[in-house]
Amino acid sequence: MDLVKRYIAAVQRELPEAKRQEIGRELNANIMDQLDALAEQHGGALSEQQVADILKTMGHPRHIARQFCPPAPLIPVHLMPLYKHTLFMVLGVLFVLQVVFMTKGWLTGTDMGLLLFIKGLASGFIADAVFGFTAITVGFAVAFNGKQPGSCNTSSQWQPQDLPPVSAGWQHISLSDIFTDLATYAFLLLLIWFPLWQQTFAGAAPASEIFSPLALVMLMWFSPVILLGVLSSLWQLRQRIWSRQSLALNVLVNLAFCMMFLLLAASGPLLQLDTERWARYFSPDAFQDSIRISLVIIALFPGYEVLRDLLRLKRMAAN
Amino acid sequence: MTTAQLDKMRLELRRGVLVLAVLASLRQRHYGYSLRRQLQDNGIDIDEGTLYPLVRRLAEQGLLDSEWQQGEGRERRYYQLSELGAELLQQLTQEWTTLNNALGPLLQPELNTLPGQPEEQG
Repeated sequence: MDLVKRYIAAVQRELPEAKRQEIGRELNANIMDQLDALAEQHGGALSEQQVADILKTMGHPRHIARQFCPPAPLIPVHLMPLYKHTLFMVLGVLFVLQVVFMTKGWLTGTDMGLLLFIKGLASGFIADAVFGFTAITVGFAVAFNGKQPGSCNTSSQWQPQDLPPVSAGWQHISLSDIFTDLATYAFLLLLIWFPLWQQTFAGAAPASEIFSPLALVMLMWFSPVILLGVLSSLWQLRQRIWSRQSLALNVLVNLAFCMMFLLLAASGPLLQLDTERWARYFSPDAFQDSIRISLVIIALFPGYEVLRDLLRLKRMAAN
Repeated sequence: MTTAQLDKMRLELRRGVLVLAVLASLRQRHYGYSLRRQLQDNGIDIDEGTLYPLVRRLAEQGLLDSEWQQGEGRERRYYQLSELGAELLQQLTQEWTTLNNALGPLLQPELNTLPGQPEEQG
């Protein structure tokens, strides 16, 4: 009966401490009953191989232990949608914050190139995301451990009248789109205002080290539109469904962005370049031309969104 | 339908019914192995790895009373339906009867086919 003892010990190892003794005792009684019945059937004592065959048919000790004490998931199934939503929101906020911190570091640091900026952004976000993921998962596991469905949700308080009207698939706004927009706006605002704020704080006359004087003035005047974009994104975050009002606001913001990029492209050099240092590698004029072309290409994106949203507005008006 | 799909659905179908069968069998006192034999004799084959944990869970829910006793030279844990378990069994039996009566006609294809309507469409 050494095999039976080994089998029961293997099951017990997989069980919580508090239940090992009791379940082991009961399992032993059941197995011994079964072996006795089979021995009686065979008309004699069972061989070791026959005992092994019976234990094998019972299942792996780990499987038996799981049947006795099913493992509880860290996140209960009924909380999974809330968990995923929270996770996505927090990761989105962390991404925006990481863009803010990296842009600040990029603007204040002297040795950070574009590649280092992207690398810093990616590694910083991954580090934050790992921390955020762990914190949220542990938080949910601790806060909702053992709570039954319905004990802490509002699913019983809903009213059919509160449901949003039937809408087309495109009317649902994805969180990734909203957070990408927010990160872009935060990046632009910091790019324009952070160096100026630093110089003002240091008592120097405000002047950008990145943009040419004319481009800087244009971007400063454009800042309220960027703030409007931030407000539009926050509104989308609250509603998550395109309405006529939010579409109209989006058209306005994207139209302003499109015109701004085209104006910047037409108004002359965008960046201040160290022409003497770079003259050996490429012509400053050719570089400014390529920036101008890039600005026109960038303007196509908000331009496309303007056309897309105008068509959507038209479609909504027709329904 | 694949064998895996059939096995999965059969398992789902049996899961609830097994609770009912175990509760009904434990109107009489049984220990683990004798309960399994009783179910087998009535045509319900259930493996040990499923039955013993199920009985323990039902006991933990207060649906079964249990006690350790010496019997035939060995200690055994005997289970029997508790008062709460008996009430639940009565309600579940009513539910099962209603369900079974409703399912009966549905599961007979000839009764579910309208006159003049072919049984299968090619």
